[in-house]
Amino acid sequence: MKKLRVAILGSGNIGTDLLIKIQRSEFLECVLFIGRNLSSPGMAKAIAMGVKVSDESINAIVKNSDLVDLVFDATSAKDAKNHWDILDKLGKIVVDMTPAKLGIFCIPAVNLEEVIEHRNINMITCGGQASIPIAYVIGKTQKNVEYIEVVSSIASRSAGPATRLNLDEYVDTTENGIKHFSNVPRTKAILNLNPADPCIDMQTTIFAQVENPDMGYLEKEIDIMIKKIQNYVPGYSLLVPPVFENGRIVIMVKAQGLGDYLPKYAGNLDIINCAAIAVAEQYSKNFNNIK
Amino acid sequence: MSLAKNKIVFEDCRASCVEIESFSILDNQSILITGGTGFIGKWLAEMISFINSVSDVNIKLYLLGRDITKFKEEVPHLAEKNFINFIEQDIRYVHDLPSDINYIIHAAGSPDNREHVSDPLKTIETFYKGTQSLLDVASRIQNLKKIIHLSSHQVYGRNETEELISENYFGSFEALNVANCYAESKRIAETLCSYYKNNLRLPIVILRPFAFIGPYQDIEKPWAINSFIRDAILGGPIRILGNGLTERSYLYASDMAYSILRSLIVGKVGEIYNLGSNKPISLNELAFKIQGQSTVKMEILSKSSKENYLSISKLVPDTDKITKDLNVREIFTIDEAINRTILWNQLNKKVK
Amino acid sequence: MIKQILISDPTLRDGNHACAHQLNAEQIAIYAEAADKAGVPIVEVGHGNGLGASSLQVGLSKEDDKTILETARKHLNKSKLGIHVIPGFATIKRDLVNAIDIGVDVIRVASHCTEADITQRHLGYVRERGKEAYGVLMMSHMASASVLVEEAQKMELYGAEGIIIMDSAGAYLPSDVQEKISALVNGLKVPVGFHAHNNLGMAIANSIMAIESGAKILDGTARGFGAGAGNAQLEVLVAVLEKMGYVTGIDLYKILDASDIAEKEIMSIVPTIKSDSIVSGLSGVFSGFAKHVTRISNEYEVDPRDVYRELGKRKIVGGQEDMIIEVVMDLIRNRK
Repeated sequence: MKKLRVAILGSGNIGTDLLIKIQRSEFLECVLFIGRNLSSPGMAKAIAMGVKVSDESINAIVKNSDLVDLVFDATSAKDAKNHWDILDKLGKIVVDMTPAKLGIFCIPAVNLEEVIEHRNINMITCGGQASIPIAYVIGKTQKNVEYIEVVSSIASRSAGPATRLNLDEYVDTTENGIKHFSNVPRTKAILNLNPADPCIDMQTTIFAQVENPDMGYLEKEIDIMIKKIQNYVPGYSLLVPPVFENGRIVIMVKAQGLGDYLPKYAGNLDIINCAAIAVAEQYSKNFNNIK
Repeated sequence: MSLAKNKIVFEDCRASCVEIESFSILDNQSILITGGTGFIGKWLAEMISFINSVSDVNIKLYLLGRDITKFKEEVPHLAEKNFINFIEQDIRYVHDLPSDINYIIHAAGSPDNREHVSDPLKTIETFYKGTQSLLDVASRIQNLKKIIHLSSHQVYGRNETEELISENYFGSFEALNVANCYAESKRIAETLCSYYKNNLRLPIVILRPFAFIGPYQDIEKPWAINSFIRDAILGGPIRILGNGLTERSYLYASDMAYSILRSLIVGKVGEIYNLGSNKPISLNELAFKIQGQSTVKMEILSKSSKENYLSISKLVPDTDKITKDLNVREIFTIDEAINRTILWNQLNKKVK
Repeated sequence: MIKQILISDPTLRDGNHACAHQLNAEQIAIYAEAADKAGVPIVEVGHGNGLGASSLQVGLSKEDDKTILETARKHLNKSKLGIHVIPGFATIKRDLVNAIDIGVDVIRVASHCTEADITQRHLGYVRERGKEAYGVLMMSHMASASVLVEEAQKMELYGAEGIIIMDSAGAYLPSDVQEKISALVNGLKVPVGFHAHNNLGMAIANSIMAIESGAKILDGTARGFGAGAGNAQLEVLVAVLEKMGYVTGIDLYKILDASDIAEKEIMSIVPTIKSDSIVSGLSGVFSGFAKHVTRISNEYEVDPRDVYRELGKRKIVGGQEDMIIEVVMDLIRNRK
């Protein structure tokens, strides 16, 4: 088997955590870790791990185009747009961690097979990775779902300046993602930051308005879905199984991080990274004809 | 409309540029401006554009900034000029620059307090790492003649006197103020300048800017004069936040640009100069002036946490040194400055 | 010297918490008109958690934001129309643009007391539109005075022209109010305000303490109609302030009339300090949780007081209503 050669663009928290996760993968090899500043903590970590690094941003891939099959873009929405113009021409596969929304929305537990037909895959949002699979199951098992709402609470310390400045984009993208996968016309996403010490784990509640819910079918399918997600997000768990309360279905899930580069409470960053790696691994499996 | 707007700027450059012949020394020289796409960068580009167009001098410009596309959208008439070259880069990560640079004006970094408090680390990195990266590269440039480092009046801390602030003043700092990261990183940047000047003999001149006003300054910035003008353009009321007796001063943008260029040719290496207006005006007077220049009637409201303040904040520079060494003076009065700024912004809005 | 106090009346916003967000357009019209007549400077309307907050999480509104705002707008002449906006619930594009287009005058952008930096963009947008922008720090009992000052300073720099701290849990004693308001008045340039809840019977006393400590803005609602044990009772507040020589611009007789109308027309129950509310206040739980805690505790037969205690222990913040279910489930599990 030949490991898929990947590059990581962006040496911040997301990029560095991806790097550590990739080191464990049987299917992926990180051939290039790229940022803009060789003295950043992420770069230092990569150098210490013996990974080839570059501070030349997108040019590093242009120069080493033959060495790279897939690029994780962990920069910003604005940069990701510029990068894609170049990477598209180079024929690279891009797993986009930013909210640039250039490619197909991906929830590995739902549409992994479909997305690997594409070359630009968008990982939506962290809250989306936690809630959309559940919303999808609700949409699939229940008739006449009028409305789905997801509420995520994350530890304040896991939300950096960019997240805080871009709450509106988070809400907007997550709502679109739920609509897309559940086929429910009205959706709403809410995000709470909780400063409690010790830090809370990321927790997401999914509500749905349904006239006559089929709870048995729902419970069965939710269990299957949870196991499917746990295959690539080990810290994902069902906190409160489906209950029908006050005219609404309520399901609660929790995402604890693996504690790789970031602490365990940063489950929000962990889940989107785990999902992105599941996508890249699927490409690798396909190239190697592994089922 | 766009033409009328650009004409204001061009005429202002003409009015401020008193000794235009003194810039012949810059003929065929290259100037790098970091933060080249910001308020100061745009005005320096306008002033040099003016000098290039009305005299025989040919000055080449490198504008370094993070978002060149935005600059091209905002000032297409400058972006198309042949003497302007762009370098799209983040100042923090600069490691190589064109070798034909003769002068550097270091104006990178946002003075917007909102950004400072929301992302203090980035603020500190921009001024500390950014200045260090730049000076490192500068020390490897062969024919470099001068570097103008734009610091900030905030390095003075609080002014506890009623005097104008002279270059050797040193005030106190509130330990717990959330916006301190800006002043502190500007101070470390000056310390870096001092090192590069003493040990590596870089020809550095430091300017400490106070408040400016004029076209290209975003009236959404949360500073008093910008807010008053914005309030006035929207039809009022003009809202004074905090102590209305607070005193500031405002240097008009084209006067600022001219002073910076003068410092490039006659500023003394190793010296520090205040850059601003030495004419104090209280926020109350300022609001009153802006109200007076509006065509519609509007109220002035005062909103303050306290009735009585123990001291009146006064941040106004003593400009004797820069006046004497650089032979510069304020051409635009505060009334003219307000008038031009409102006019330009009204034209700018209609263009949108 | 005249001591002027700015009163903002969120009867039609905080009161929505007290009736599961079921205020209808007619009720909004009736009270808005009465408050306007009384000369209330700012009438705040909306879902209990503000703009864009109608949800299964917090409760669905009887009327949508557009109806609420248009109705209130129509019935306010002198009074300014105010709204409460929490980033994370309300977005600029989806909610705030429309609200300002409808004619809202005063926008109070709120966050949990330690998270002021999520308000930067929303405050910036309000300023851009030239409207009155305030910053609100909710659940302020959960942060120390020095943290509140830092967070409030951020909001001030973002462009807030006043900062209001909320005692969202009704947890303060007058000495707490004195400490925090004094620190804020000292540390800020812009006026400071206080929003009380009455869980420990301190709403009026705390409001007065806030004023005596230098606050210039107070919130009060007719009959105290608001979340949990309710707010500072507006008509009492106006009377007390008048007795103390403060000026509010509100006509006492007319605000008494308005509160009578409110009791008759918009309240199914006048808020009182229920036994549960006392425990809620002692535990420092968001007042807006009260209806949910009562309902879910009844449904699953657990003692609501235990639920409040546990919510307080877990430091749950406003907007985390879903945690009530989890806490109740945990209590049942541990009982077994």
